[in-house]
Amino acid sequence: MSTIPPRPPRHTWRVIGLFLAPAVAAYLLLTVYPVLRTIYNSLLEIRPREPSVFVGARNYVQLATDKTFWLAVKHTVIWATLAPLLEVGIGLLLALGLYARVPMARFFRVAWFAPVLISYVVVSIMWSWLYNYDWGIVNIALRAVGLEALQKAWLGEPRFALAALILVDVWKWTAFHMVVCLAALQGLPREVLEAAEIDMCGWVRKLRFIAVPMIAPTLLGLLVLGFIGKMKVFDLVWLMTQGGPLWSTETVSTYVYKRAFDWNTFDLGYPSAVATVWFAAILACVILFVTLFRQRDTLEY
Amino acid sequence: MRLVKRGITLSVLALLAVLVASLAAHAQDKTLTIWTMGGDQPGWVKWLDAIAGNFEKNNSGAKVKITYYDKSALLVALKTALRAKQGPDVVYHEPDQMELVDAGYLRPLDGIVPWDKVQPWAREAWTIKGHAYGIPYSWYTNEIFYNKKLMAELGVTLPATGQVSQADFLGILKKARAANMEPMVIGVGDRPFPGAYLTFEMLLRKLGPADYQKLLDGKLSYADARVISVLRYAKEIVDAGALPKAFATLKLSDSYQVFFQRRGLMFPQGTWYSQRAFAPADKGGQPEDFSLGVMNFPAMDAGACNNCRTAALSGGYGVSADTKQLGLATGFLKEMATPEMGELWTTLNNSPSGVLFDPAKVQNQYAWYFKELDRARQGSKYFIGIPLNFVTGQCRETFIQVINKAFPAGLVSVDETVRQMNEACYKG
Repeated sequence: MSTIPPRPPRHTWRVIGLFLAPAVAAYLLLTVYPVLRTIYNSLLEIRPREPSVFVGARNYVQLATDKTFWLAVKHTVIWATLAPLLEVGIGLLLALGLYARVPMARFFRVAWFAPVLISYVVVSIMWSWLYNYDWGIVNIALRAVGLEALQKAWLGEPRFALAALILVDVWKWTAFHMVVCLAALQGLPREVLEAAEIDMCGWVRKLRFIAVPMIAPTLLGLLVLGFIGKMKVFDLVWLMTQGGPLWSTETVSTYVYKRAFDWNTFDLGYPSAVATVWFAAILACVILFVTLFRQRDTLEY
Repeated sequence: MRLVKRGITLSVLALLAVLVASLAAHAQDKTLTIWTMGGDQPGWVKWLDAIAGNFEKNNSGAKVKITYYDKSALLVALKTALRAKQGPDVVYHEPDQMELVDAGYLRPLDGIVPWDKVQPWAREAWTIKGHAYGIPYSWYTNEIFYNKKLMAELGVTLPATGQVSQADFLGILKKARAANMEPMVIGVGDRPFPGAYLTFEMLLRKLGPADYQKLLDGKLSYADARVISVLRYAKEIVDAGALPKAFATLKLSDSYQVFFQRRGLMFPQGTWYSQRAFAPADKGGQPEDFSLGVMNFPAMDAGACNNCRTAALSGGYGVSADTKQLGLATGFLKEMATPEMGELWTTLNNSPSGVLFDPAKVQNQYAWYFKELDRARQGSKYFIGIPLNFVTGQCRETFIQVINKAFPAGLVSVDETVRQMNEACYKG
């Protein structure tokens, strides 16, 4: 008797295609087409109500010497590197605390997760008030403890503005990573942890040599996803500083937006070139991370 | 059989959908769409509602649909929608948004609206390459509003002209800071121009209109000795602590509250100040007992035109080049360009209309305000246009970041300001 399952009848493929078609169409229309169109636009000078002019690599040549663009790249890379490290690191510590069942763990889990649920608009208004020089609680607290000399216009000085925004972003997203780390910790096999206890392994050593290494793939995944996400950071910057002061918080996304909508032109060729270059950079990072961190061995225990 | 039933049901639903869509399209045949800012200003909303009411009364079956946007969001929405031919019929726009004209998205209004009912200089100011593109709803000058009570508290009596010398002006600001006041309230959190008021009004007075125009057109270097002397003086003002520490993030509407509530002495603004300030106090307006005065920017040492001041069009309403409601759109603008609506704008907003009207007919409790303005403006020579009307591209971006934000915040030196502005704006 044959054990090979029969091929599905042809009309089943048709039904599968019918059900997949809307999602595929939406994906092609809303994701693939805009990307291809943007790459195409980057080779043009777009003139509204007139035929666009093919300019070849002119926009890319201009991009190579655009100081504001490279400043934006620097800020974005700093953000994309620092913020995930802080978010995952602090998130892991908070998760470990919850895993260890600290008092009022249930309350803390909800309280810490609340910022994740707040929209960027509310977050930006709230933190703009917190950072306000005159009535913001950060400077009020500094004045209260006699540290008036340390009070700053946190969003108004180029030295501090980027760090101030990164802090807000970390505050918003840390608990998301906490929840993922907690789930990973709770998914650890009990027998391995019990075996460690039998071997008189202390809490700290258990964490350091067993629990954290076992959830390393999860941590790595969070770091990579965090990096990719921060490479596109826009909302918080636009709402709080719009790239200022003096371009000190300019990111690639805010720069693309400004070139597309804030400059007195309808030409989308140059901002399309910026977007294309950045898309390629993020894609390259994704491929690099996937290649570097591909797990070759299955963990056996 | 089941398939047949399903097919019939789907067909009927599709037919219904087409019917509803065509009914909706038909219903829009006599709907005039308008996109504008001003939704947060009660006087502006009432004025537009009045025009819409008159228009609907005089055009049977026509409906006006007004959509209010936040100012910065409006241009973005227009740029996207007009490109896709999905824009409104009537477009609010401002003189520094000339890309709408350059790209052909606005219809020239020559021969369409009654220009004999518009302020003659306003039409001139908004004529580009021989065509006019908007009915100006209002115009303004840049002034320094001040708190009379606080000025008296400092023991300062201003001359009748409201203008003092550079040295005296700086002295007043230093006194104010020492008396725990906010000497000069300016916020650039959500606007690309207030931080430049001080520097560029002084540059106008120092250089005179002809050389000031050259500076804006990129034909005069920022390294010119006169420009540097003004920048150095502005730096002295900044270093004296005259501007709020929260300057870089203070939003325009919040800056009004700082002026009203937190011992703000001076408040450089356009005369559209009244559109917000004369709203009821619970809607963000000045307190009833607020003692408002108008003074001039300081007379510059060896200034070429110390009686010069900037006048500009606030903005206006134009017609989309792709409108399918040209008749309705021009009809609406004709309703706007009447003396009654000019008078109504001025009455409700206490800022002068761009449409001709009889000022004697404007009777409200703010007649004193216009007297103050007239006194301060006496003998003035007007330069038409703010810097943003002239600078574009990288020059505009650098103007916003450096002149508007960083320089008044004390973040860049005079030399660095000169270097950056020349690099971005000077054409040689």
